[in-house]
Amino acid sequence: MTQPNDMPLTRAEKRQARRFRQFDNPWLNPKLIWGAGLLLSIVLIGLLGRFVWDLDLVFTGSSPLKLPPIGFENLRGQSGVAAHPIGTDGGGRDMLAMIIVGAPNTLFVGLLASLIGMSIGIFLGFSAGFLGGRVDDTIRVGADVMITIPPLLILVVFQSAFGDVSLTMMALLIAGFVWQSPTRLIRAQVLSMKQSGYVQMAQLSGASTSHIMFREMMPNLVPYLFGSFIASVTTSIVTAVGLEVLGLGPQRIPTLGRTIYEAINAGALIQNLWWWWGIPTLLLGIIFIGLLLINLGLDEVSNPRLRKLS
Amino acid sequence: MLDHPNTDKPVLTLKDVSIEFPTPQGVVQAVKSLSLDIHKGRRVGFIGESGSGKTTTALAVMQMLAEPGRVSGGSIDLGGTDVLALGEDEMRRTRLSRVAYIPQGAMNSLNPVMRVEPQMWDGIIAHEGAVDRAELKRRSDAALHSVGLPLHTADLFPHELSGGMKQRVCIAMGIILNPELIIADEPTSALDVVTQRQVMQTLKAIQAEIGSGLMLIGHDMGLMAQTVDELAVLKDGALVEHGTVQQILEAPKHPYTRDLISSVPLVGGESFLNPDARAQAPKRASSEPLLRFENVRKDYGPVTALHPMSFTLQGDTPQIISIVGQSGSGKSTMGSIMLGFNPPSQGKVLFEGQDVAGMNAAQSLDFRKNVQAVFQDPYACFNPFYRVNHALKFPFKQFGLSKSAAHTQTAMEQACQAVGLDPDLVLNRYPHQLSGGQRQRLVVARALMLSPKLLIADEPVSMVDASLRASILSNIYDLKDQYGISILYITHDLATAYHVSDYVMVLFKGNVVEAGPPKEVIGAPQHPYTRLLIDSIPWPDLARSWGDGRQDWDPAKLEAEAAQVPAVYRGTVPGFDLSTT
Repeated sequence: MTQPNDMPLTRAEKRQARRFRQFDNPWLNPKLIWGAGLLLSIVLIGLLGRFVWDLDLVFTGSSPLKLPPIGFENLRGQSGVAAHPIGTDGGGRDMLAMIIVGAPNTLFVGLLASLIGMSIGIFLGFSAGFLGGRVDDTIRVGADVMITIPPLLILVVFQSAFGDVSLTMMALLIAGFVWQSPTRLIRAQVLSMKQSGYVQMAQLSGASTSHIMFREMMPNLVPYLFGSFIASVTTSIVTAVGLEVLGLGPQRIPTLGRTIYEAINAGALIQNLWWWWGIPTLLLGIIFIGLLLINLGLDEVSNPRLRKLS
Repeated sequence: MLDHPNTDKPVLTLKDVSIEFPTPQGVVQAVKSLSLDIHKGRRVGFIGESGSGKTTTALAVMQMLAEPGRVSGGSIDLGGTDVLALGEDEMRRTRLSRVAYIPQGAMNSLNPVMRVEPQMWDGIIAHEGAVDRAELKRRSDAALHSVGLPLHTADLFPHELSGGMKQRVCIAMGIILNPELIIADEPTSALDVVTQRQVMQTLKAIQAEIGSGLMLIGHDMGLMAQTVDELAVLKDGALVEHGTVQQILEAPKHPYTRDLISSVPLVGGESFLNPDARAQAPKRASSEPLLRFENVRKDYGPVTALHPMSFTLQGDTPQIISIVGQSGSGKSTMGSIMLGFNPPSQGKVLFEGQDVAGMNAAQSLDFRKNVQAVFQDPYACFNPFYRVNHALKFPFKQFGLSKSAAHTQTAMEQACQAVGLDPDLVLNRYPHQLSGGQRQRLVVARALMLSPKLLIADEPVSMVDASLRASILSNIYDLKDQYGISILYITHDLATAYHVSDYVMVLFKGNVVEAGPPKEVIGAPQHPYTRLLIDSIPWPDLARSWGDGRQDWDPAKLEAEAAQVPAVYRGTVPGFDLSTT
């Protein structure tokens, strides 16, 4: 450690120095950066794709059927063409256009559902923790009961009864099943924070209840809220894709799950049309890995004990 | 240099031990070439403030330093074995059998889902393999007996034991394999004085019985003086003085040692307060008494925390009223009732004639402005999200005292200077960047900015380093005269209560047992409970017998006797009236 300045650093020392920098600024977490990068790339595909690609190609019959990606041949011996770089599906839709429209749709459902779920969770969690008594009992029992009900079961019934639904409607339905764990988490944190010295100090300072909730407690909850938010985005996307693959999602809007549903329905597996179902699956995988990395990274940011110095 | 009665090889030899922690800001030298011997049967105290390297040294002996800390130089020799050369597995076998560690918080060291007995057996089985059950039982019973616990304790769960009993179970676990060296890391810091005396007596007796060396880590000079044979004073990782207790107490050489000794307040000793800060108190507008308790009683379920109590604090001349007692005496309950955080089960609390429970929004804001508090734990008092000036700025604005941003800033700076802090250094920091002492002074500064009429100080210095206690208390004391603030000082520390207060109430299980001016109540106690409390305080006075014969000193029995004796009232002071019915 007492290295003179003019000596070049060894690799071990460089690594040590990098670890120190990470320790100093926890947001420089490699997991967090990679995870955010993966998700951002999905968003960028959706944003930039709109400008460089013709989105009308998502409509049925706009392109030749079952074309493979460039450099591959399908069973009929056709090879991929530059007009459809990652192939077309059995309905003559361009896969690239489907992905440009569908991948952000899938993310959107997940984000919207968990935003709504989190808002409900924050509201109920704070109410339960802060007000206590009857309100607390009701909310706690409600959340505990709801957590035991498998969401897919209820949603299948709902969707089949409603028929075609919009993306927003689906997000709303899913939100009804992702508010329980944030509620429980926030309630527990609020209960312990309510006893803390700084909340008592704020009370002594004549602070209003809303000041205590939103200015004193909320900032300290941010790491938990982030973590919980990412976890519920994952749950929401899994639920949404699950419904879509069963054919119960929106009928006219391309999503990754819907594409997989159609591929399975049209027998893409037997016809060796691997790009039809494979590419959306790969993208879903990227989304989940991105979310997982962000969650792990956030865990290390908010819990310094997980951060390793040596 | 030191004359040891025992001339054989020392149990522990530390030679030039240095310990360092690499951090992002560079390498921190936690311990700087420390050399020391601990001989068989000797008790050596390690004294110093938090961060002085006492615990780090002990952990290095156990090879339990937290990552990334490491011993960077020197040698540690445990009765002929080079500890630093031992492998993981050899070290594991050495721990407990040759060197035992008694940790700070006993409540956190016992497994809550296991009974006491199997936890004690764990250590034996881990070191000696399969041992016959009857033999295990015999040895754990012997260990419990040696720490003075009844044998049925073995079948209890940790939550069924009191703090002192848990700490004694930890001691029993530590000595069950007759180690050569016992390391006790502030074994009594979480206990009140009476229990502390009992636990320290146990530890001394058991150490004498098995004849091991004892390394006692602490920051209380009084406790050290009463417990150890030799004293090692540590400051910033360096050993600044080492000698027998007698040498160090009678002729301390290093100025830091002198500071440590003089920072212990003595009953009847010299006052640490500044007597000539007498300014005129501001006149109060209201003729109603400042604070009035009318038959206030508090129950928690079937337990009565506070028996009906009535008193009137006039508040025309600022006074300090001390409420002293052990944990569980109801003193903190009284504090939270006064602050209106905790409604009384019966009776009324009146602030300037207004019932605290039935105030409207404007009255409530006025009450909050005029009744402020300093809490025990300075570490919890600041929101970790904000810079510390948030805690000072916010109430100042909230109570409408601020005229402009510049005005707030000057008020904050003045308040900081009044408590001896440099405003440029502290105000823009985050709480974790400040020490406990600095934070507690900031809490006092915050109270000062609001110039309340009444300040409730609930154990304001019990979590602050000993050398800072006196200065924080004198900050609080100066508030009384300079700003005309009446203060209710809630504490378990009778020595400080003796110096700062105008009137003292001793609480025992929710009842006042003795009350009056401090010179009488604490200087010449009459109630047996007050005497028990005072006898339990460890003072740095070698002539005083504090904890040798543990058989004849049974606090439970003394407390039971004290409960029979009626309260003693020792005269009154003008401005405070305690109803004696």
